[in-house]
Amino acid sequence: MAQIATVWAVFQGLLLEALPFLLIGVAISSLARALDPSGHWLQKLPKGALLGPLSGALLGFALPACECGNVPVARRLLAVGAPLGTAFGFLFAAPVLNPVVLLSTWAAFPDKPWLLLLRPAGSVVIALVLSGLLQLISEAKLLNSELLAERRLSQPLAAFSLLERSTGLIGQPLAALATDLKASVQNKPAGLLSHGVNEFLELGSLLVLGCAVAALIQTLIPRDLFLALGQAPTLSVVSLMLLALVVSVCSSVDAFLALGFADQVTPGALLAFLLLGPVIDLKSVSLLGRVFTLRAMGLVLAGVSLTVLLMGQALNLLLL
Amino acid sequence: MKYLVLGFLGAVLLKCWLDQRLNLLLHSNFHSLVLIAGLVLLMIAIAGFCSAKVSNKATKIWPLIVLSLTAMGLWIWPPKPSLSTLAANRSGAQLGQSELSFLSPPEQRSLTDWVRLLNSQPDPNLYGGDPVQVSGFVLDVPGKPPEIARLLVRCCLADATPVGLAVRWPKTKSSNGWPKPDQWLQIKGVMAVENHQGSLRSVLVAKQIKAIAAPTRPLEP
Repeated sequence: MAQIATVWAVFQGLLLEALPFLLIGVAISSLARALDPSGHWLQKLPKGALLGPLSGALLGFALPACECGNVPVARRLLAVGAPLGTAFGFLFAAPVLNPVVLLSTWAAFPDKPWLLLLRPAGSVVIALVLSGLLQLISEAKLLNSELLAERRLSQPLAAFSLLERSTGLIGQPLAALATDLKASVQNKPAGLLSHGVNEFLELGSLLVLGCAVAALIQTLIPRDLFLALGQAPTLSVVSLMLLALVVSVCSSVDAFLALGFADQVTPGALLAFLLLGPVIDLKSVSLLGRVFTLRAMGLVLAGVSLTVLLMGQALNLLLL
Repeated sequence: MKYLVLGFLGAVLLKCWLDQRLNLLLHSNFHSLVLIAGLVLLMIAIAGFCSAKVSNKATKIWPLIVLSLTAMGLWIWPPKPSLSTLAANRSGAQLGQSELSFLSPPEQRSLTDWVRLLNSQPDPNLYGGDPVQVSGFVLDVPGKPPEIARLLVRCCLADATPVGLAVRWPKTKSSNGWPKPDQWLQIKGVMAVENHQGSLRSVLVAKQIKAIAAPTRPLEP
């Protein structure tokens, strides 16, 4: 009984902390929709394997949000036809490359200058790797079907084949999307409000599920299990990556949490914890389902895990 | 319907802010964010009702169900976590020397101050005989006497980590005489040195124990 009460309390803590950030993200996304409804400006963001993710990552300085808040913004970028690399750069690196997170990392680890350098640098590397990896598969297999349909409406017909269209002459029209978009056009402020509310409700309900799973696992699995392998060069990195997935705390404060066990683990494991959590965790994985297909999410998880593991290992080799 | 759910969720966030439960769930930095989010959601709900011309057909039903049930749950069941159960799954926080910026007299130190001090200057002989007056909850330690502890929180209850002091409880005939886990106590006593698994450590010798109500802010930053 005590455990159920504790799971319920942890769930409430996670949800109440994350909901305001989700609201901020949806507000920014709606603002972008209002200011640039056709995505004319956002489509002009830099393209290219290097420049795209880098510019997306740097957007984090303009829109400081943690991983919950930046999913709706990244969705908006993709929906209006912004370059994939830019949107992915923002999605994967902006939760670290923003002033709030960098300041909190510095405040938590003033005695570890290498961490202040490697955390943002590592995030950029992750964004570049994931962006390159995800663009190996077609948009149709990469993006959530609703998001893809919305993106297609903003792209020139030459950008994709007729068979890829889910509205128009070929394929099934998405009635819900069409109604929503029609409402946006006919009655702009109310339409924007309606769309923003729909987005908040959908992402909010997914956040509820993510928080429930995270609370359950956090309460039932002892955290010491993850820290027990603290000094083993490779296993410590893997175990701290698992801890980052389970703990699901906001990227703006995860450095303070890491401070609590920094002396018990290897430097590579510490870096891995601070790099993986902002990209994916149990709380945000459901939100990512509104951006990617299942296959793409598997690719994200595999890609980021491997990249973080290699970076953690390399750091351990250098410092241990 | 969706504006009703949104308004209800906003009202629940305001209730959470008003009924002080945030003190038990979140670091104080996030309290105002919850309040603002609640107010914004309520305002959006009102604005949505006023612009009812817009079609709501695009709203899916499952998010409405999930969020309605969650909001109802939050409204009806306030959090009553077992801090001892929560702490049992977490290793103790390592408080660094850098966090120790000010040293108050022994009897004025909080439990967290004591743990910080013992971490930064671990020689137990420095504190032998110092008067101690601390409050915290009883943390069950399997196979050992329970400790007196507090939870440190940086973000929310999910990242809470315990800090505890070893206590030499007044002599009883059996371990059943130890206080129950989760009970909030104020302990007056002195710091002593004891041999623990071959090394010296500081232990709080409890002389006066008083059961107290859980504080309004049970979590420490």
